[in-house]
Amino acid sequence: MSANKVTFLMRHAPYGSVYAAEGFRATMGIAVFECPLCIVFMDDGVYALAKRQNPTALEMKPLGEGFPTLGEVGVSEFYVHDASLAERGLTPDDLVMGVQVVSSAQVADILHTSGTVLPF
Amino acid sequence: MLHTVNRSPLSSNSLYSALRIAAPGDPLLLLEDGVYAAMPGAVWEQAVQAALAQHPIYALGADLQARGIERLIEGIQVTGYDGFVALVEQHGVVPWL
Repeated sequence: MSANKVTFLMRHAPYGSVYAAEGFRATMGIAVFECPLCIVFMDDGVYALAKRQNPTALEMKPLGEGFPTLGEVGVSEFYVHDASLAERGLTPDDLVMGVQVVSSAQVADILHTSGTVLPF
Repeated sequence: MLHTVNRSPLSSNSLYSALRIAAPGDPLLLLEDGVYAAMPGAVWEQAVQAALAQHPIYALGADLQARGIERLIEGIQVTGYDGFVALVEQHGVVPWL
């Protein structure tokens, strides 16, 4: 991986705070510059990819369905931390898109080989 | 007292503090990210099941729907904003932020 690769580290649930939504916006912003990037979902960040999100009653926009559309701007590396899923009782089938499920060691390697880590 | 929890079980110890302090019979209301505590199969499920023996536990429907939570730990009751208001009218409130 290259030194200018950007890794978005998503660790917050959607809707309860602005982190996940702002992380999504920032991903779009960086991606249009054709900068190599990937997104790592761990801790409560895995909830951002949950299926069937419907925040209409909160007068907010659904976040989860936005991530698959990032393919249109060239984002194809989506990693989800296996232990974060397991401790929340989730499996990859509960997620809105296909992702690469990775171990803690693999997350460490992704972060280690990134030029920049942006936390959200 | 009504105990409200608005943080997820693994991002904060609010749920555990509320359960530690709540008197038998006190209701709990899960709202905002607190509703993740209502999901079955997670590491906190046993703690919530044990709490259900002592407390009515409610989860706010709009917050469940927003987060795509459709399956709940058995015994947790879904309520709306009207139910939230009714609980607040009936009890003093301890918010566990």
